[in-house]
Amino acid sequence: MQHLELLEHTDTVNELLARYGVKFGIYKNNTFKEQLFPFDAIPRIIEADEYAYLERGLKQRVVALNMFLKDIYSKKQIVKDGVIPEDFIFASSGYMAECEGAVPPKDIYSHISGIDLVKGKDERWYILEDNLRVPSGASYPMIARELCRRSSPETFKDLKIEDNRNYAALLRRTFDNVNVGGHTVILTPGRYNAAYFEHSYLAEQTGAHLVNGSELTVKDDKLYFITADGKYERVGAVYRRISDEYLDPMNFNPESLIGIPHIYDVFKKGNVALLNAPGNGVADDKGIYYFVPKMIQYYLGEEPVLSNAPTYLPFYEEDMKYVLEHFDDLVLKDVAEAGGYGVVFGNTMTKEQKENFLNLLKAEPRRFIAQEVIDFQDLDILEDKKPIPRKADLRAFVLMADEPLVWKSGLPRFSRNPDSFIVNSSQGGGFKDTWVLSQ
Amino acid sequence: MGIISVEQADRLYWLGRYTERVYTTLRMFSKSFDSLIDGIADSYVDFCKSIDIPNVYMDKADFVRRYPFDVEISDSIISNLNRAYDNAIVLRESIGSECLAYIQLAIYEMNKAANSKSPLIELQRVNDNLLAFYGIVDDQIDSENVRNIIKAGKRIERIDMYARLGIGKRELMREINRMIPRVERCGLEYHKDNLLRLRGLVEETVIDYYKIVSEVESIF
Repeated sequence: MQHLELLEHTDTVNELLARYGVKFGIYKNNTFKEQLFPFDAIPRIIEADEYAYLERGLKQRVVALNMFLKDIYSKKQIVKDGVIPEDFIFASSGYMAECEGAVPPKDIYSHISGIDLVKGKDERWYILEDNLRVPSGASYPMIARELCRRSSPETFKDLKIEDNRNYAALLRRTFDNVNVGGHTVILTPGRYNAAYFEHSYLAEQTGAHLVNGSELTVKDDKLYFITADGKYERVGAVYRRISDEYLDPMNFNPESLIGIPHIYDVFKKGNVALLNAPGNGVADDKGIYYFVPKMIQYYLGEEPVLSNAPTYLPFYEEDMKYVLEHFDDLVLKDVAEAGGYGVVFGNTMTKEQKENFLNLLKAEPRRFIAQEVIDFQDLDILEDKKPIPRKADLRAFVLMADEPLVWKSGLPRFSRNPDSFIVNSSQGGGFKDTWVLSQ
Repeated sequence: MGIISVEQADRLYWLGRYTERVYTTLRMFSKSFDSLIDGIADSYVDFCKSIDIPNVYMDKADFVRRYPFDVEISDSIISNLNRAYDNAIVLRESIGSECLAYIQLAIYEMNKAANSKSPLIELQRVNDNLLAFYGIVDDQIDSENVRNIIKAGKRIERIDMYARLGIGKRELMREINRMIPRVERCGLEYHKDNLLRLRGLVEETVIDYYKIVSEVESIF
């Protein structure tokens, strides 16, 4: 691996990424800053057979999660059958009562799913998290591949690697599958959003129009884009990159200034597709994560191909007992947090912190999950031109188009801190490309 | 006209204006810098007057250091370049990553110049990137409306600046003749009378520069 010609061009690729403004936004001390997302040229490599296994498991998982969403916002059979306690549905911050009875075009709820995995030192892959709301990250390996090929064509001449630059085409296919007639737009909260680069880049690559809320309007139960010469252009699909609560001030958070009044009414009438559908948060809640393997068995009658990280719900008495006994060996996650926030490792707490945390855990057991700390494999990154091992995960992207599609790549994020297991970009990490070998 | 919203049209227009403002002020700054070398201590005061910006500088050295690079001064060159970037960054899907890259590169060169011992040489690279930006606008943007809105902004800004600087009749007429077809083809509503009046104003024996600025600023 260290002999790849590409590695000599790491700095060039990073310069090109800077040239094209490949950044993410971050708020520090109430100030917005755009930061470059450091790229490491040593790829995560997945063999064809291993990828086929992952693909099978990811499709299975996302199909089941979509069935779960349909069920939860209609019959709730999985609750009636006692597979998932209702506490975990209705107390979830991601559950939206407003979505009851709404049926998205073609029954697809999670069109774009970002599934976070790690590979353990036992060579097994574990699912860490499902992201079914507005998962981001695909644009980074996509543009990095383009720039790597430009910087080091020799590297790619003889290697048989799946071309990941087709993500835009897959996304377009996903849009077109549910578009009910009209333009497709990508709805962004604006340039001060952390993932704004991705919004604008995907718009450019898919040919969709990048819009903000003020450029769309609802008229006669349909959604329109208003052009500069005053024409109304029908919109048939919205890839929205703003969260549920800000999507429609008339139906959700009334204080939202970035949403479109009544867009959700248009959606409920079947006159526009929203990708992803509102209300998906109930399925990617960290508490619900525990139940996903059970969902797969329940809806598909199959054994899960991919495993969850061993997880405990302090909500259950038995699990609480285990968590208290093994506290120092576990990582605890606040189910309401994301982006690496609200994650604490039992063995890093002071006595006082531990005491305070345990009091909170006992008072609000539903708020936390506990997981075994998976000793996941390191990936090498280059530092001062030398390879050093760092923790890295993989975000895989599953698109529900006319069939489930798994993108033959993914976003590996790595921690730059040798002692950290937290790989999120918002915590200062970098990213890699994923090479899926085609033979 | 294609599918362009009012907001996008506005951003495209101001992208053209701010890039031109940076391009022209950098050229003017270079000329002014030259006279500063000869030790004409107050020439920067005249420069500020000529381009109608407040003189907030303590002396010649302060002007040379802060006018191009101080983000806290709203009329500095870097502030105008940042405004060009603010418009460009939200237009990636209209103008394309390749076009946007030249604005980004201009920012990098500006930041390099700020830390350079030969800032004037580095600043030339800022303008090189802006010229490349205009070139790629013509080469890669398919939408005629998008191209023409950017160019209309650029041409209007140039006339505005030339009028403020009291540039001669011939150059002004040339710029007005280049601006009018851009405005007519950009697909936005505009005031045709202003264009006619502008031509008339430049043809007069004594040019009323104030009126020219006023007319050019209210074309749209």
